[in-house]
Amino acid sequence: MKTLEKLNYYELLEIAPHASPLEVHQAYKEMYDLYHDDSLASYSFFPPEERREILAMLDEAYSTLMNVKTRAGYDRSLVENGTLKTDVKDRPDMNRTVDAKSPADQSALSIRDNVKSVVSSHPGIQEILARETISGAELKSIRDELGIPLEEVAKTTKVRMLYLEAIENDEFEKIPAGIFLKGFLKAYGQCMGLDADTVASRYLKRMKD
Amino acid sequence: MNSINQSRSECTPFIWPIGGGKGGTGKSFLTINIGILLARQGYKTLLIDADLGTPNLHTIIGLPNPKTSLSDFVNKTVSTLEETVLEMPVHNLFLISGARNKLDIANFAHEQKMKMLRAISRLHYDYILLDLGAGTAFNTIDFFTLSDSGIFVCIPEPTSIENIYRLIRSVYIRKIRQVLQINCFRNLAGQAEAQNRDAVIQHPEYLLTTLKQIDPEQGGNIEKILQAFQFKLVVNQVRKRDNPRTGTLICKIIEKHLGMRIQFIGNVGFDDRVHETVCMKSPYILKYAHSQTALDLHGVLQGITGGTNRQTAALAASTSI
Ligand SMILES: Nc1ncnc2c1ncn2[C@@H]1O[C@H](COP(=O)(O)OP(=O)(O)OP(=O)(O)O)[C@@H](O)[C@H]1O
Ligand SMILES: [Mg+2]
Repeated sequence: MKTLEKLNYYELLEIAPHASPLEVHQAYKEMYDLYHDDSLASYSFFPPEERREILAMLDEAYSTLMNVKTRAGYDRSLVENGTLKTDVKDRPDMNRTVDAKSPADQSALSIRDNVKSVVSSHPGIQEILARETISGAELKSIRDELGIPLEEVAKTTKVRMLYLEAIENDEFEKIPAGIFLKGFLKAYGQCMGLDADTVASRYLKRMKD
Repeated sequence: MNSINQSRSECTPFIWPIGGGKGGTGKSFLTINIGILLARQGYKTLLIDADLGTPNLHTIIGLPNPKTSLSDFVNKTVSTLEETVLEMPVHNLFLISGARNKLDIANFAHEQKMKMLRAISRLHYDYILLDLGAGTAFNTIDFFTLSDSGIFVCIPEPTSIENIYRLIRSVYIRKIRQVLQINCFRNLAGQAEAQNRDAVIQHPEYLLTTLKQIDPEQGGNIEKILQAFQFKLVVNQVRKRDNPRTGTLICKIIEKHLGMRIQFIGNVGFDDRVHETVCMKSPYILKYAHSQTALDLHGVLQGITGGTNRQTAALAASTSI
């Protein structure tokens, strides 16, 4: 068993080296639940000093991994000391710029707020949002980028998987027309931290064209 | 009882010590109700009130004046432990009542204790549930050397969680000691202790690392034995407002920081009517068989019968515990 200090940030947060910012955030939140001062589950397990050290390590890991520049630097150091293979880093989503707020603030933020901050600073997503119309495939690529499973969207929005898949696949014939579709689109957009009306109107515009 | 179960009780029983902190976490409540469920599934089941000094299982089960008890075995009024076994109103269910008098047993000699533990492990039952006394007294911890398994019960309150961590740590350290006493490991254990004096006491997880460094093969064998332990956690008296994930998180902390595997086998809901059934001296599961809490108890049962465990290999291999 490795002691915590010997773990790299990915191991510490129990995530893969190619985890998306949202996954980093979720992992941090989960760990925070385990170790924070008032956590019932770990009550009395650690002396206060040790608890502070663990929380400091988590914060450090979180702020490093949430910022593209520091994460790239950290990854390079892992590659250099042989912990990380280079190929894992050949992933398409490395050019995102997310400004990490201080982790203490972050833990108070909801996941949705965090998604919004990723959306607003992600060049790829911004580029899609700048277009006049949005296709289902583009919505899906945004969702993939954010690392949100479709099941989660279904759970949050209460829209059936069948319809969500039809929306992403641009299979208009499978979606009930009119007011329903508009509602589904808005819910989908909102769930992903996007502007709901924009998503709905641009998708519908493309559908009509 | 079917023939499969009949043949099963001829071999070594599954022994489950049930431990928890002081303050009534529900050890006795679980022992009785899980015992009844096991008996009803056709398993020949023995409950032992191992709460030395302050037994009360007999009362909860509705037997105010048990004819025989552990005292008789300790005081040699009877020659075999079997003679202290009482029949219960539930088919397949049996009880050994706890020692009546604190003086009988609270500080009884090591030799006597060993004799009792050995006698327990030789009994012919499918399942033996040991309702332990609260806390981390030696006499409590020693019951965990009887098998490779154990159930820990806590309630979702800081005091109880503090107690359960203390108990789990003590039990784990006791189990490690037991394994290290097996002849073939003694030499290695001595070397490790010389290198890192406090490890056994304070950081069992470092001890294993040290053992593996000195002798990868033997260290690996010790790790395998330790990982074969079947420790389970039950969170009892869970109310609607409580976080249902607390048990999972506790197990995660233990696994990460003690290097010990423990499985969360369920929340058991708080039910006001438990008090009423205790007062009426009739088992809860018989009276409220379809309540949520009863369902939860079935879940716990599943967690217990789902895996396998036998009397500890370490106990069989070593003469001294
Ligand atoms: N799930 C439950 N819902 C409501 N009350 C419960 C529940 N479990 C146990 N209790 C109550 O908690 C009290 C303590 O239970 P129990 O006697 O089983 O604890 P214990 O761990 O054996 O305590 P001790 O260490 O004193 O032997 C009892 O009064 C019982 O009525
Ligand atoms: Mg009790």
